[in-house]
Amino acid sequence: MKVLAEVMMGNYAIARGLVEAGIQVAAAYPGTPSSEILPGIIEFKRREKCAIHTEWSVNERCAMEVAYGAAIAGKKAACMMKQVGLNVAFPALLRGMHKTIKGALVVVSCDDPGPQSSQTEQDTRLLATLFYIPVFDPASPEEAADIAYCALKYSFEHKTPVILRSTHRVSHARQAVPLYPPGTRKVTLHEGINHQSPLANRQSRIMALGIVASGMTYSIAMDVLQDIGISDIVPIYKVVQFSPITGHQSPVTLRGSSTPGLQAFLDSVDNVLVLEETDAVIEALIDRGKKALGRRNGYVPKEGELTYDVVKGVIERAMEKAGIEKKSFVPDSRIEEAMKTVAVKPRPPKLCAGCSHRSSFYAMRYAFPDAIFPGDIGCYTLGTLQGAVDTCIDMGSGVTLASGFYNTFHQDGKVPPILASVGDSTFFHACLPPLYDAVTTNKKFILVIMDNGTTAMTGMQPTPQTGITADGTHTRSITIENVLKGFGIGFVKVIDPYDIPLMIQTIKEAYDYLTTHQSPVTSHRSPITNHHSPAVIIARRECLLNARGRVKKMVEDLPIERDCIGCKGCIKFFGCPAITFDEERRKVVVDDGICVMCGMCLIVCNMMRQKKGSSKF
Amino acid sequence: MKLEIVCAGIGGRGVLLASTILIEAAIASGHNAIASDEYGMSQRGGSVVSLVKVGDFKSPLIGRERAHIILAFEESEFYRNIAMLKREGIALVNTQRKTLPDAIYSLAQERALACYLVDADRIAKEKGMIQAANMALLGFFAFLSIEPYTRENVERTIKKRVSEKLLEKNLEIFQAGYMGAKEVLS
Ligand code: SF4
Ligand code: SF4
Repeated sequence: MKVLAEVMMGNYAIARGLVEAGIQVAAAYPGTPSSEILPGIIEFKRREKCAIHTEWSVNERCAMEVAYGAAIAGKKAACMMKQVGLNVAFPALLRGMHKTIKGALVVVSCDDPGPQSSQTEQDTRLLATLFYIPVFDPASPEEAADIAYCALKYSFEHKTPVILRSTHRVSHARQAVPLYPPGTRKVTLHEGINHQSPLANRQSRIMALGIVASGMTYSIAMDVLQDIGISDIVPIYKVVQFSPITGHQSPVTLRGSSTPGLQAFLDSVDNVLVLEETDAVIEALIDRGKKALGRRNGYVPKEGELTYDVVKGVIERAMEKAGIEKKSFVPDSRIEEAMKTVAVKPRPPKLCAGCSHRSSFYAMRYAFPDAIFPGDIGCYTLGTLQGAVDTCIDMGSGVTLASGFYNTFHQDGKVPPILASVGDSTFFHACLPPLYDAVTTNKKFILVIMDNGTTAMTGMQPTPQTGITADGTHTRSITIENVLKGFGIGFVKVIDPYDIPLMIQTIKEAYDYLTTHQSPVTSHRSPITNHHSPAVIIARRECLLNARGRVKKMVEDLPIERDCIGCKGCIKFFGCPAITFDEERRKVVVDDGICVMCGMCLIVCNMMRQKKGSSKF
Repeated sequence: MKLEIVCAGIGGRGVLLASTILIEAAIASGHNAIASDEYGMSQRGGSVVSLVKVGDFKSPLIGRERAHIILAFEESEFYRNIAMLKREGIALVNTQRKTLPDAIYSLAQERALACYLVDADRIAKEKGMIQAANMALLGFFAFLSIEPYTRENVERTIKKRVSEKLLEKNLEIFQAGYMGAKEVLS
């Protein structure tokens, strides 16, 4: 039978494996780098005409427990999230160990070495092994499909939840992945000594250096060994699965470590280099003391992604330790010399050109330059660049930290303006519980809900407000203002953040409202009339990327280059990526390729020229 | 055969589409290929790098001074990624410049790099679709006929990957890029 293959990213490959293995329920909350798995499941369920319940849950805990409930009731279920999402979902997972499921439960948790778009680099494998949960670590998209398939079967057979841990380099790599009709995938997991490795046929000899690796780091190490020409003298052992072993001294072990394979490998080398992301899990489990070169003794960096160059450097140092002679790579320093002479445009991560969050932050900072700005997780974390986000801890922390700050300053007698920001998806995910507290204890801060009608940072997943479900069908919409009404919050304004002057004015009104205890809802039946804090502003405008194709020009003509007086105010306080500053001409330059003609920079520029702008900061 | 390609540019300007076409064209012509994308949080205007490795590779990552080819869809992104290019590597750079800055020019000489400066933005603008400058650069690249890429297999993949609505313009710009290369190089 000729097997069809299709180029797809690792996350779609995971989806493919799960669908082929017969998954029945899938729930997820989006988070980079895991977000494309659920859409992948929806795509393949359509193609294969399978009956699968799919949903974007409001947060990871809900996703986990929906899948868990289904697994208890006998279904094959999976939930998907990023690694920090697993923290939110943990309670059920811990209960899950106790053989309560009748069906199957695969938890897909995607790690983010670096981190590239997370707060931490935490290693899902570490949590999993700590709590005796079997975990699989694929090394490529192709393998991710196979492993997803096996993981569901493993869970069903052993009646235990299992974790499939991916990393962004696997999730976002693209490769041709074979497609099988559901239930027929041919899988052989390549674990152990690679067939190209020297040990396979020269068993008696002790080698100076061997490598144990898992996940993408294994793949990179394989390439590095090839590229520097030592794959014939340095054997490599690949770990795919970490599983609990009953009656064994260490409750979790690497598959194969109780069998002769891994032990024999470890015994057959003088030095063993352990390459894995992001923590020292294999290293701790094999526990080979000084013989092991890894994170514990500084051979492998304790933080940051293991990129090709990092892995190459580590392998070269290990070779030196093991006494393997080989010329190491010397970077050509002339490149850096030449680079010094050219102006490379700095391109730090920025909100998109025309993004309405930028206007909101500009207004917040303008209204109260000295405020405290608790921020949250989303594209709008980038408000730090405009000086309008001071903190960012986890989902919902915009509200919780604002609460903590308010209480602190209130206790000490002087409360500065506190302007918190959260996004619409984050609002539903984690802000409701802290808002109950904020209302009942009358915490006086301003909450700006940046409502762009989607979960933008992770790729436009719907929120409870959009009235659309994961597979595009329509459903009831729960609007933010209705929820706030339920809280009895007195000051709720919905405005378009493109109207920067109105936004500034509204923020000031909100502050007056909080400080003068005046409630516009005079007929309110609450006996405590001033208990209507916090004040909430919903800054509503659809995300530009989501509205692609429907974005209307707000201005016909953009005279900013012509009128520029070279003060750089817009660069410093607004920072639209379509605008750069030409030092020679002392004027801004607009890149037509990315400008969306929103006209926001004109408002800012005007304020600057009238000295109403930068002087405020 | 082993080929390591860096596609570099800025978000919203078709870097990922270009690398998709490169990986799919390679696979369609019977090779192994793997790609890796990296992009920051924002999607418009930030640096975007996509790596394509054709041949017997396990990982999609490319190390310093290892890439055979850089397709730079924006000039600054070329400089930012130039350290990835190996000796005797090839660079295609979308720029209005006629010559490289002096220091980069001497570097290219010393490292025997072949740098092609292509005004892809102009080519695309003339056809009325600046967003499709990536196609002009791909067209130029296709003319170089670096194994496994040919005008035919790149064009075929474009037809598969670009939506019908935009296809005609994209192909037109691709061809203009190809012809541009033909004029300068033959
Ligand atoms: S704020 Fe206006 S005058 Fe100042 S640099 Fe920007 S465009 Fe020029
Ligand atoms: S109009 Fe101004 S603010 Fe809006 S996208 Fe263009 S350059 Fe940026």
